[in-house]
Amino acid sequence: MKTTIEQNGNQYIARFSGRLDTAAAVQTTEDIRPLLQVANGEIVLDCAELEYISSSGLRIFLTIRKEAATHNSKVIVRNIAADIRQVFVMTGFISLFEIQ
Amino acid sequence: MDLLSQFILDEYSESLPQMEKLRDIVVRMLSNAIEQNGIEVTTVSARVKTKDSLRGKLAIKGGKYHSLSDITDIVGVRVITFYTDDVDRIAAMAEQIFDIDWQNSVDKRRLHQLDSFGYNSLHYICRLPSSVYKDAQYPLLNNIPFELQIRTTLQHAWAAINHDNGYKSGVEIPREYMRQMNRLAGMLELADDEFSRIRTDINDYRRRVKQLLQNGKLDDLQLDGETYRSYLEAKPFDKLNKRIAAINQAEIQQVPLSEYLPILRALGCKTIGDVGRMVKEYEEPAYRLARHQLGTTDLDIISSSLGLQNVCIACLLKQGAGKIGLKRLYEALNGENDQNDALAEMTYSQAAAISLV
Repeated sequence: MKTTIEQNGNQYIARFSGRLDTAAAVQTTEDIRPLLQVANGEIVLDCAELEYISSSGLRIFLTIRKEAATHNSKVIVRNIAADIRQVFVMTGFISLFEIQ
Repeated sequence: MDLLSQFILDEYSESLPQMEKLRDIVVRMLSNAIEQNGIEVTTVSARVKTKDSLRGKLAIKGGKYHSLSDITDIVGVRVITFYTDDVDRIAAMAEQIFDIDWQNSVDKRRLHQLDSFGYNSLHYICRLPSSVYKDAQYPLLNNIPFELQIRTTLQHAWAAINHDNGYKSGVEIPREYMRQMNRLAGMLELADDEFSRIRTDINDYRRRVKQLLQNGKLDDLQLDGETYRSYLEAKPFDKLNKRIAAINQAEIQQVPLSEYLPILRALGCKTIGDVGRMVKEYEEPAYRLARHQLGTTDLDIISSSLGLQNVCIACLLKQGAGKIGLKRLYEALNGENDQNDALAEMTYSQAAAISLV
């Protein structure tokens, strides 16, 4: 699992690559830490290369969203594969995120 | 400039730190009281008149004052409210906190004749009582008068524009324009009263909604933003969510359910009673769908919208909306997207597998 963050002005793009499972969650939590401080910005979670998401991964996405709301930032989930989108539906989080 | 005016200006320079301290304390005390009473205001602001401004005032009205304390607006505090009722509430708070010099205070709102309109604001001349605040370093703090102005946003807009057009320039504006300004003052007074009336009506409606909910008269409650919000306070989907969460011993994450209001309307719910009946009717298929979807996964976190989401899916399928209906549901929840077709297809197959279609 690899996470990279790119900054363009006040837009932050986090690219997730691989399987975001319980084993990868600890490192990913560390990797996304800079996103938790973004104020008045836009955070894009690019899932084009994300192969799998577990509950731990969902919790990471929820933490990003919660902190973004606190800091008046917006979160967009982008390029999400159909089976990962299905995870968002099955858990009821589909209406919580702006998924493009 | 005469000697007395010069004396007052010297007194001003000596007292300036005390007046600045007074300004800060008054703003802090008023702001705290306003917040504690749950009143929203536009601003609480304050200023100490500048020396130049005081010099100008003395040049015009110098003979009227014998000492600095005769000038009651050197320290000025202004509270601007949204509602006219709140002017009176904040005035009542000020009366509790400060000593009011009633002789010099004026409620401009009550000064108008029956057929005249114009500047509306409440002006209190106050002092900070030593029983409320005392500081040995600032012994004059409790003797310096300050002016507290309380007015609504509309009153403030009128006063500011009127001041800008006429009074400030020092030239009396022509009668024709004065009449137009006063006409506007009358209109804004009416608007202020209307805003207050609407707020009172909304609060009455909220109380009525709560009462009908408490009495279980759900069919008397039209489904709207207010009744839906009050209905959700009773956590009507908790039981179903807990049942779904038990499938994988999942944690339930609380999320807003506001997106579902238009969906419930589209499903034919006209009253809160209709929503209650829909939930009751589709609770079981909603649970079975969740069990089918989650039972083979290790997902141990769900959102508090899942129960309602599945109730809507079950209801849609029962109404014969099919895959197109499911696609519309996902569009409503998450916007238009190329993948909504595939998602609808997948949900439809899962529903078919447990005989929901």
